[in-house]
Amino acid sequence: MKMFRSKFVLCLVMILSFGIMAHADTPGSVDAQLKAATAAAPTTADLQKGDPGGSLTGTINDVPVSNPKAGVTVADVANQVGQNKIAINFTWTLITGFLVMFMQAGFAMVEAGLCRIKNANHTYMMNFTVYACGLFAYWLIGFAIQMGGSAGNGNLGGLQPLSGEHVMNIFGHAWGIFGEKGLFLSGSTYDVGVMVIFLFEMVFMDTALTIVTGACAERWKFLTFCVSSVLMGAFTYPLFGNWAWGGGWLAQMGTNLGLGKGYCDFAGSGVVHAVGGITALAVALIIGPRIGKFNRDGSSNPIIGHDISAVLIGCFILAFGWFGFNPGSTLGASAAGCLRIGSVAVNTMLAGCTGTFAAMIYMWATKGKPDASMSGNGLLAGLVAITAPSGFVNTVGAAIIGAVAGILVCWSVAFVENKLKVDDPVGAISVHGACGLWGVLSVGLLADGKSNYGGAWNGVTGSVTGLFYGDPGQLVAQLVGIATLIGFVFTFSFVLNWILDILMGQRVSAQTEVEGLDIPEMGQLGYPEFVFKPEPEFMLNAEQAIA
Amino acid sequence: MAANKQQGQWYGVFLAGLTVACAGIYQFSSGIGKVALVVGLIILAATFWKFLQLKPLEGKIALGAQPAAMKLAGVVVIILGWLIVLFGLHVASGVGGRMVMTIVGMIVSLVGVIGILPIACNKNAIWKA
Repeated sequence: MKMFRSKFVLCLVMILSFGIMAHADTPGSVDAQLKAATAAAPTTADLQKGDPGGSLTGTINDVPVSNPKAGVTVADVANQVGQNKIAINFTWTLITGFLVMFMQAGFAMVEAGLCRIKNANHTYMMNFTVYACGLFAYWLIGFAIQMGGSAGNGNLGGLQPLSGEHVMNIFGHAWGIFGEKGLFLSGSTYDVGVMVIFLFEMVFMDTALTIVTGACAERWKFLTFCVSSVLMGAFTYPLFGNWAWGGGWLAQMGTNLGLGKGYCDFAGSGVVHAVGGITALAVALIIGPRIGKFNRDGSSNPIIGHDISAVLIGCFILAFGWFGFNPGSTLGASAAGCLRIGSVAVNTMLAGCTGTFAAMIYMWATKGKPDASMSGNGLLAGLVAITAPSGFVNTVGAAIIGAVAGILVCWSVAFVENKLKVDDPVGAISVHGACGLWGVLSVGLLADGKSNYGGAWNGVTGSVTGLFYGDPGQLVAQLVGIATLIGFVFTFSFVLNWILDILMGQRVSAQTEVEGLDIPEMGQLGYPEFVFKPEPEFMLNAEQAIA
Repeated sequence: MAANKQQGQWYGVFLAGLTVACAGIYQFSSGIGKVALVVGLIILAATFWKFLQLKPLEGKIALGAQPAAMKLAGVVVIILGWLIVLFGLHVASGVGGRMVMTIVGMIVSLVGVIGILPIACNKNAIWKA
């Protein structure tokens, strides 16, 4: 027994010794491996010969070292891995942001193409100028209101400088109301990650602003448009943006009230498109219809745009830009869940496809022709609707969402024109407003609970799941978002633009409108060498009546 | 009158006023920040005063007068609907109750948006004359 005990102790000592030796040996062996890899890496002389096969470029020699004497260490490699993740996400987010910025060109072509030639310069200029108006206002204060309290995004390095959300305690819960950090992108927000998220969010904001110009085209006074756009970029859009994306109260409905994952809007059917479409309705109500749009009995006249080729090319530019809009909203390609970018992109394509088919077939079957402008609007309607659910639904869901949007846009255009008597030259209220609201609602119905972006969304563990997959709470959260778009965003926009109407006047003079806005407002025709066709008889009658 | 030099000049002043006001908000904790905010707001007020003076130069527009009281009533109804939604979230505790309150509030808001306001804005529409 004594001998057995001494052998046991001996074995134990040997095992412990080997363990200590092995443990002590590990760093040494890794360092040795790193040194061996450094020694085996191609030399400067090797690289001077060129690397046509690409096998010599990008080696351990390219890993930055913290201590040149020690060479590459494990810490250096780990730091480089972390920086690579952030670099991939920065690059992804910036490039997709650049794609979204190019959508402005698509909007300009669609809107100008659907307007008459005598207003082409004015319509193009509104779409051009809105970029500057929005960007400037967003840099001044809009970004701070929207994203000033949105710290915590690990994809972009944490965004810790954006840690100032103003909260209010209501009914025992703290609710985010607006952000406070990031005015002028100065102070602590002079930060690499903040710059990336600013660029990405700014181009989204500008998309919302440019929607309004379409609904108010051919009669909006340029000065008032400039002021209205600045105020929308500074206040209207950022407020709702904060509530949905900046850590505000809509996003907190999951954590505070247990309603699903809170209001979920992956890429902005609500935040971008419905805000733009609903503001467009508010301004179009105030500004009134174009001369000749409605007859005395309330029936409407079609006022045909001047360039259907520009419209369809513009739609394609927008569809291309949407690959930045939706997949880019992962804010990265290298983190938990970000590999869903392929799924998001395919959902986007599919909804655009079914939206086009639905609108085209609807018009063909009911009016006898596959109307080009409505087919284009069908594509955009599908894309608008899939924007919110693109990160949460499967391809079947995406196809259904797009098809419903394609029909909805046709109905909505007729409703806005014939029932509300609101003149919307490009169908912006229907495409972005109605289909944006449908997109928000569809998250609450069709989110399949399979997405997993780091295990939680809006601070609630699990995947976003709609009513048809078992979570009615998510539907309520989406409905509250819709109610807020209608109840708050519409009212805010309506009152703001009503005040501007009182102070500045929203509409150009009747004389300017009849003449066309290009010369009186812009000083130059869009197409100076074109010969204008005479106006149709109903328009001449209406113009004479005004005169 | 359409676009003119004065509009351009005062739009520039408007942007300057907004910039100064935002700078004031940014530095609000300091004395100079408060001064900047006040100066910015004064510039903005002056801008809108000038815009108001320039407005009549535009000439007659093809839009009838919209009854302000009816428009205001529409706005109040829309806000009321939204408040029903907000209070409904706290008054009702279950998902079903909250859904009902939200839908009721949304319908009230929609009455204002697609019921009252279009009628108000088209009441004296020029195409009816």
